[in-house]
Amino acid sequence: MVSNPRRTVLTGFGVLSPIGSTPEAFWDALVAGACGVRTISLFDASVLPCHIAGEVPGFSAKAMIDKANRRSLNAMARTVELGVIGSQLAMQSAGIAKGTIPPDRIGVEFASLMGATELNDMAAASKAAAPDGDTVSYAAWGAAGLSEITPLWMLKYLPNMPACHTTIFYDIQGPSNTQIPGDTSGLVALFEAARILRRGAADVMVVGGSEARLNPITLSRHNLFVQLSKRNDDPTHAVRPFDAARDGTVLGEGSAVFALEELDHARNRNATILGELAGWAAGVDRGKKGPGLARVIRNALASAGIQPSDVDHVNAHGTGTTAGDAFEARGIAEVFGRDVPVFAPLSRFGNLGAASGLMELACSVLALKNGLLPGTLNHEAPAPDCPVTVHAGAPRPTTKPFAVKVTYTDLGQCAAAVVKRWDS
Amino acid sequence: MRRRVVITGMGVITPLGHSPAELFASVVAGRTAVAPIAHFDARTFPTTFASQVSGFDLAKYLPDAAKFRNCGVNTKYALAAAKQALADAGLLEIKGDRSRMGVYLGSGEGQENFEALTTSIAKATPAGERTANYHAAAALLFVRLNGPQEAEAEMYAPSGYLADTFGLDGPFASCQTACAASSQAIGEAGEMIRTGEADVMLAGGSHSMITPTGITGFNRLTALSQRNDSPATASRPFDLTRDGFVIGEGAGLVVLEELEHAKARGATIIAELTGYGSTADAFRMTDPHPEGKGAIRCMANALADAGLNAADIGYINAHGTSTQANDAAETAAIKAVFGAHAYKVPVSSSKSMLGHLIAAAGVAELVISVMAIQKGVIPPTINLETPDPACDLDYVPHQAREVRFRHALSNSFGFGGQNIALVASAFKG
Repeated sequence: MVSNPRRTVLTGFGVLSPIGSTPEAFWDALVAGACGVRTISLFDASVLPCHIAGEVPGFSAKAMIDKANRRSLNAMARTVELGVIGSQLAMQSAGIAKGTIPPDRIGVEFASLMGATELNDMAAASKAAAPDGDTVSYAAWGAAGLSEITPLWMLKYLPNMPACHTTIFYDIQGPSNTQIPGDTSGLVALFEAARILRRGAADVMVVGGSEARLNPITLSRHNLFVQLSKRNDDPTHAVRPFDAARDGTVLGEGSAVFALEELDHARNRNATILGELAGWAAGVDRGKKGPGLARVIRNALASAGIQPSDVDHVNAHGTGTTAGDAFEARGIAEVFGRDVPVFAPLSRFGNLGAASGLMELACSVLALKNGLLPGTLNHEAPAPDCPVTVHAGAPRPTTKPFAVKVTYTDLGQCAAAVVKRWDS
Repeated sequence: MRRRVVITGMGVITPLGHSPAELFASVVAGRTAVAPIAHFDARTFPTTFASQVSGFDLAKYLPDAAKFRNCGVNTKYALAAAKQALADAGLLEIKGDRSRMGVYLGSGEGQENFEALTTSIAKATPAGERTANYHAAAALLFVRLNGPQEAEAEMYAPSGYLADTFGLDGPFASCQTACAASSQAIGEAGEMIRTGEADVMLAGGSHSMITPTGITGFNRLTALSQRNDSPATASRPFDLTRDGFVIGEGAGLVVLEELEHAKARGATIIAELTGYGSTADAFRMTDPHPEGKGAIRCMANALADAGLNAADIGYINAHGTSTQANDAAETAAIKAVFGAHAYKVPVSSSKSMLGHLIAAAGVAELVISVMAIQKGVIPPTINLETPDPACDLDYVPHQAREVRFRHALSNSFGFGGQNIALVASAFKG
């Protein structure tokens, strides 16, 4: 890491989540132990083995979007809507109005994955190409189906659309990028944004993650290859991080967007500082064995210049899957043993995919800021194969200034962020 | 002093060759591989042709190729290009700690099961109606989608498999910024070396959108050429009669390495990555800014990053998509940045021959630019027959040209207004 870098602080936060869609409501729900996992209401998913998830209740982009941008909603899938409304909330939270930062000094880094097509966008075309519903004719699709597709169809679903709309809405002309490495996307976006700020290519970066996953395609797909909980009858107890009775995760949707800003720039405009991104690392643990994740965590601590004993808590991905939690616990334990408590917020809102990293990180940023660490929901019987100490039950005061956020993909791509409480 | 980033290995799978040498020989000869779509029956689509990879077999590169049978071609092309690049760099067999070698891949959506999607939706849509029963569709999709294939379609898979297969345990990222993705991956991977987070980064891109949904999406946006009666002349960047881009597919990866690291292990240095610029247009989803506002700043930023003046650039590998909007805006932007030198510097579009590899376009074009520096030969823009008054630069029409030069600039501009420029330079110690 370069010496004497420009420092990067969080100065705005927008959230749309299953447990609250303002920072205050989100925090109150965390402290109260609320759970946003419910039977899916966006469509009747009861036919799928797992049909519970973390849904953002009552989300309406149309109701929330700035009037000036309302027309753009025509070309947005729900993932994109969640992303751009998240950006809007983050910009408001940061106190940055369009045009108040020189356009070339502000950029965007988003984490978002390919959105699934809205079924009705393909219904007439599919009917034309596969009238019997069993075999599709490419010739019929080309001749009669394709013209039934709305002209801007592709743009509704591309991963880079939340970032692109955000640049257009706020006249953001600095770097714009979109990260897609699964559940690590949000942290990878955050790291790149920090790198951009440190090298002086921008002063403010909008850093967000958004994903809508509760549609027939995404939900069917994940029911085929992800270990999802069978506790449809008991959604609020379904995801059990590091618990002996864990039986899988659930999907969720949402959007978490931060403003990440160079410290002096933030000070000069009297911005409210929520916390500091003090260090980070990414790397691969081939075969998800544990030592690779431990190396990534150690690299992140080193980049922040701190020791394990400086850490208040580790914020784990804690998906509640059998193999995932065991892997993650091994990696965390190799660095921290049982000394540092592990907090896993995912059981409260599900796995938000591209939005997971920043949503989960936000819990620690708020915990450090408020001096209170909420408990991990549904961790009741510590699992023998997860050698970590999980903080469950009632909130406890935070005692140290740093938290470490960990996440990973199923191919062992691991990311760790170090955030620091801001003492002004 | 800033850590310097050099290129020590390159690999490609493209419609015009399965190695950098084959690719470069093809573009210097002005060849094209644009032909009727073979991947599926596209005869009734508005566009019936593409620039496709042919004769590809992953087993030629990996003994355990069968392990990747459920992966999409984006993963398979990337693995093959990575094997070439790492072999070229002499990094396949490095023992010991590999935690300072990472991956940055620009890629796109994974494979899509068109048949399962369309038949499930159709069956769930009552006759004469235009809306599907979502409950019924979910039941059908759950049965008709193939679980192992869907698992491999996750967007982290291509970058994840590169790390897993070649033991690249260091930092990773994977971006999707449409047509700018692989250039952005290379630029940001270079920054990860500059900051000291890594010593080696395998960077580039992989993509195929030659699928029913890919062609449908671009056709509905009217972005593709529809010159179905003459596919080989359809990609005509800067020509007055251009009518859209020609979609291609493929992968390219380069090994970026910190200079002292490369020297210490006696690596052959192919070129230096000297400049990187990244900006957003903040203009429109579907069109570039007509005066190239964002493109101007990204080229200027890349030059400043390289510490070069416009007059130092000996060749510009244009984004040059063959769309009306891009080619005019890019020309205007080059003039704004290069002033009088704009009329002297050769500018060519590899897409006239190769088609548009989307997320893999930028890396293929950087490889071509680097080889142009090495060989002292600038590949042409083919199919440039009818001059466009708005496009009046030296586009190296028809024939390759022998020119000795040291610095090349390569542009990549993505849908939605992401602009990337890279500067590659002959290495001078």
